[in-house]
Amino acid sequence: MNLTTHPVAPEEIMAWLDGELPNAEARTVATHVDDCAECANFVNQFRSTTQTLSSWTVPPVPSTLEDAVNDRAVNSAAKRKPSRPISYTSFSLWNWKIWAVAGGGAIAGILAPIVTEVSLSYHSVHEVAKPSMLMVRPETASDSPSTEPFFENRRADNLKSDRYVGAVAGISGANSQASPPPHPPVPATRSGGGGGGGYTPAVSAPAPMIARTASLTILVKDIATARSSLDAIVAQNRGYSAEITVDLSDSAPPRGIVASLRVPAPDLPTALADLRALGRIQREKQTGEEVTQQHTDLIARLQNSRETEQRLRDILAQRTGKIEDILQVEEEIARVRGEIESMEADQKALEHRVDFATVDLELVEDYKAPFNSPTQSAFTRMHNAFVAGFHHATDTVLGIVLFFEEFGPVILIWLVILGLPSFFIWRRYRKARSQL
Amino acid sequence: MQEAPRAFVLNSEATKPHMNDAPSNSDLGDSTSSLTDEQLMVAFSRGSTDAFSTLFQRYKQPLFGFFRRRLTDPSQAEELTQETFLAVLRASSRYQACALFRTYLYAIGFKILRAHRRKATFRAMFHTNQPPGLELSIENTIHSEVLLRESVGKLDSIDREILMLREFEQLSYAEIAELCSLPLNTVRSRLFRARSALHDLLTAPVSKTHTTDLAESEGRI
Repeated sequence: MNLTTHPVAPEEIMAWLDGELPNAEARTVATHVDDCAECANFVNQFRSTTQTLSSWTVPPVPSTLEDAVNDRAVNSAAKRKPSRPISYTSFSLWNWKIWAVAGGGAIAGILAPIVTEVSLSYHSVHEVAKPSMLMVRPETASDSPSTEPFFENRRADNLKSDRYVGAVAGISGANSQASPPPHPPVPATRSGGGGGGGYTPAVSAPAPMIARTASLTILVKDIATARSSLDAIVAQNRGYSAEITVDLSDSAPPRGIVASLRVPAPDLPTALADLRALGRIQREKQTGEEVTQQHTDLIARLQNSRETEQRLRDILAQRTGKIEDILQVEEEIARVRGEIESMEADQKALEHRVDFATVDLELVEDYKAPFNSPTQSAFTRMHNAFVAGFHHATDTVLGIVLFFEEFGPVILIWLVILGLPSFFIWRRYRKARSQL
Repeated sequence: MQEAPRAFVLNSEATKPHMNDAPSNSDLGDSTSSLTDEQLMVAFSRGSTDAFSTLFQRYKQPLFGFFRRRLTDPSQAEELTQETFLAVLRASSRYQACALFRTYLYAIGFKILRAHRRKATFRAMFHTNQPPGLELSIENTIHSEVLLRESVGKLDSIDREILMLREFEQLSYAEIAELCSLPLNTVRSRLFRARSALHDLLTAPVSKTHTTDLAESEGRI
């Protein structure tokens, strides 16, 4: 059959038989079928097939089915509650509402742990800050009358010494000499000893010595303004900068300052509050290390060494032995003296860590691209883009090759391990499906 | 659409409510028997049990035939028929008459049938024995009908499904397209192909058919 001899296709004849053609087309097909013997034969062929199919009968429905469904219908009608009507299309898996709800749930499931973690980290920062302040405040408040003279003496000695002033990079603690800190941080258990470093254990229970460290990352609007404010804050809190690195170059934004500050421990909360006002805090961390045991051990060893030195000096003063013995005693005195000086230096460093808290500060400028930045010519930019694109393409190809070189054998092994069982399961599935 | 020459095609079981065991509409109230399927379903969704009874009487035999022709086990066909009506019961409160009830019912039945086939395929992976009821089904079947089933079983699965939906369930091309998620023209082409192939199979010289072959062909249906 072709459209030259038969203006209607066989499928159209079939559709006409099924009553699926519009009236105009149905009349055309009916007219053609009346005139065309071949198409009439085609119609008879469909009729006979349909008649043959009609012989496929089905036994009547079992009566048990009717009873079961009717019972359920009565129960269902009794319990039914009117609800929002929806069409049967809601059964479809491709309903957008189902996917919207599933997608929303998935996003919420992904975001929930992230939000929880951020919230916990935020609280942890503030929880770290609170206990450290609580550790210091009661101690300083209750012990201030007894520790005030000691701290004033120590601070005066320290700030006047060249060692402290020499470490200052740009900001000196000269102002602090005029006004001693209001809250001494050092516990009352320490007392001054000989040589400016000796301490004897107090009778009362020793308060903890805590070396505190704070770390801040702050986003500031203008780095130059922040620099001057930083100097003022350090001076106001009688601190100093142990190390400071200022990057003000425009070539590699963002600009910033990295500094390691030392401020008196009692002034740490005030200093941190002032520093936080410089901009928006990106990260904050505070830690406190208790060095009481370390300090007590150091004091005890120092006292023993001094007593040993004193006994050696007494022996040397008697001068009853041989020359070799005298020389040996002098060598021993020199060795003990060296140990004492070393321990005194350690003691001072330890006490300094307690007296002065460390603030690791990072100021980052909020970068804003300037309007008048020099731009390259179009040709240069195209050339650079082409070169960069070529490099990226080669890197990508190389990366793929390296990936398969590195992981190819492993992938192959897993393909064999998983592929063979999958193949056999699939083959068994197809076989079972063909049998149904 | 044209006035369909119904004499050419099979009389739908859906359009024949008076099947062998179906009670006459006079058994039910006159108020429900004159209503359309969609009106009955809306009435049932509002609490009318008589409306559901009328619907059930109209469609129990066609739906049972739908499953019975596609499954080898009569008890499974009965079970799935019941399951389909129960699904209609459960969803009746949410029913909205935006499509023919017949399409709605067969859509549910079609989904239940596919779910059943998936489960049966999965079970058959671990149990190699034949499903029960197959021999009984063949014993009660006359020879010409067995040959017919064998011929239908040899058709392509989608072509066979379209042919059966058209010939036995009397669904329109559009309804079949919606049920099978196929374009309308594809349905027409596949139906034509299925009918031509079935005619060739039925008119081909019949060789001696073994019982096992018949069983396999029925199983495929």
